[in-house]
Amino acid sequence: MSVEFPGGVRAVDRLTLRIAEGERVALLGPSGAGKSTLLRALLGAVPVSGRVRVGGHDPHGPRRAAAWIRSGTGVVRQGNDLVLGVSGRLNALMGTAATWRTRDWLRALTGQIPAPFQSQLETLAAQHGILGCLRQPARELSGGQRQRVALVRALLGQPRLLLADEPTSGLDPVTAAAAVDALRTAGSPARPVTVIVATHDLAVARQFPRILAMRDGRLAYDGATLDESVTAGIYRGDQP
Amino acid sequence: MTPEELTRPWPPPTPKPAERGAPPTPVPSAVPRRRLLRWAAVGAILVLLVWSVQGTGVSVGALIDGREGGLHLVRGFLHPDLSAAFLADVGSAVLQTVQISLTGLLLAAPLGLAGALLIAGNVGAPGWLRGSARAGAAFLRGVPDLLWALLFVATIGPGPAAGALAIAVHGAGLLAKLGAEQLEAIDPAPVEAVRLTGTGRAATAVLAIIPQARAGLASLLLYQWECNLRTSTVIGFVGAGGIGQELAISLRLFRYDELSTLILAVLAMILLVDQLSRVIRRRMGAAT
Repeated sequence: MSVEFPGGVRAVDRLTLRIAEGERVALLGPSGAGKSTLLRALLGAVPVSGRVRVGGHDPHGPRRAAAWIRSGTGVVRQGNDLVLGVSGRLNALMGTAATWRTRDWLRALTGQIPAPFQSQLETLAAQHGILGCLRQPARELSGGQRQRVALVRALLGQPRLLLADEPTSGLDPVTAAAAVDALRTAGSPARPVTVIVATHDLAVARQFPRILAMRDGRLAYDGATLDESVTAGIYRGDQP
Repeated sequence: MTPEELTRPWPPPTPKPAERGAPPTPVPSAVPRRRLLRWAAVGAILVLLVWSVQGTGVSVGALIDGREGGLHLVRGFLHPDLSAAFLADVGSAVLQTVQISLTGLLLAAPLGLAGALLIAGNVGAPGWLRGSARAGAAFLRGVPDLLWALLFVATIGPGPAAGALAIAVHGAGLLAKLGAEQLEAIDPAPVEAVRLTGTGRAATAVLAIIPQARAGLASLLLYQWECNLRTSTVIGFVGAGGIGQELAISLRLFRYDELSTLILAVLAMILLVDQLSRVIRRRMGAAT
């Protein structure tokens, strides 16, 4: 697949890649390598040339197929993408809105947690240290707290696929480790979760069993270890 | 720089003046033509202004001729009618004006905000619906509120109901356009984040678009209320109730003392609402 933006900039260039269900993958590369664009392409958020399939469904195909992929995907994006005017709780719940029934809407909009997500949200919020932040408007949360709310939003509702774009940006080392741990251990044997974490942090990438590296929109490395020659290839342009 | 440029003398020698009898240096023709065009434009604007002033009959002479009437008006204004009976009438007219403005807002707000949601590009309503809403809003606000008032007076008869409906219809068109602009001005990142989870258009609007635009929309509603209040003083002249109707009666009867009281009441009412609206907007954190 390729992704070309208006103006001829090719963010992803003839990439061929297969990731199995339940795999945990780190997507490494310098800024502008095409990592974020690749993640967006998996959700049908950017036009692609070539073939993309997620769980056998085409994200750029019929609306139902795209909805199936998106509703089963948890997304943590770099930067701040919370709705600042509402509470941390409503932000954390937003990832599950596609599955809400009328009573869930009523509960969510009246400051309560829809019953199907009550215990999971409380567990995840406690795990990531944001239980006290849920009532606060997102505007009043720190950058790190907002990032953790975004992480909980992605994990809530038991997604089949987790896409995280720089999930540790703005987090202190302890909280960052907890976030990476949560992504690495998400899911269960009965309900496997495929995890793709885009990062430029080598320490984060090393914690994943499979490491993909991108450079100039192309796949530069696909392996399990990161030694000096590989990182030199990714960041300095030497052949890995 | 090339070696030739480096060895060239500095400053460069000034060209000698043209010798007598030599052909004159040609002047570029673009400059006088541009100057000519500029003077022609200035002349055209002046002609247009003079034509407009003559057409309206505005002149210092007309003001001098009308000095008697003017003095009568000023005299009346300096002695406002402050009798208890008239003040009671003014008070009731002010209250009715406030009622008209609020009823107009109450009816315009849901219609206008629904229209805004349909028009705003980031909400993503189907094209035909968006186009229809945009055309409908343009029609509602394109017809002046005074004309709407005349139409409603002709339909349901004179009174505050006609005024409230006229304000509501015109206000809905305005709110739809300005509300759509507020909705489109929000940060798109949270909207995309919600949309990427498979949430539908309407649900995304409820969760990510409206909450971001809330303060701006509330500020817009308050501003519309201020506008409604000003408008409801004018539409009373065509029989649509409120203090405007009292103003029209006093003006027709040349009761300038009453007119003075009514104008003072209008000013006080508008200043009060302006102040109130500013306080509310500040409390909401919206731009004042």
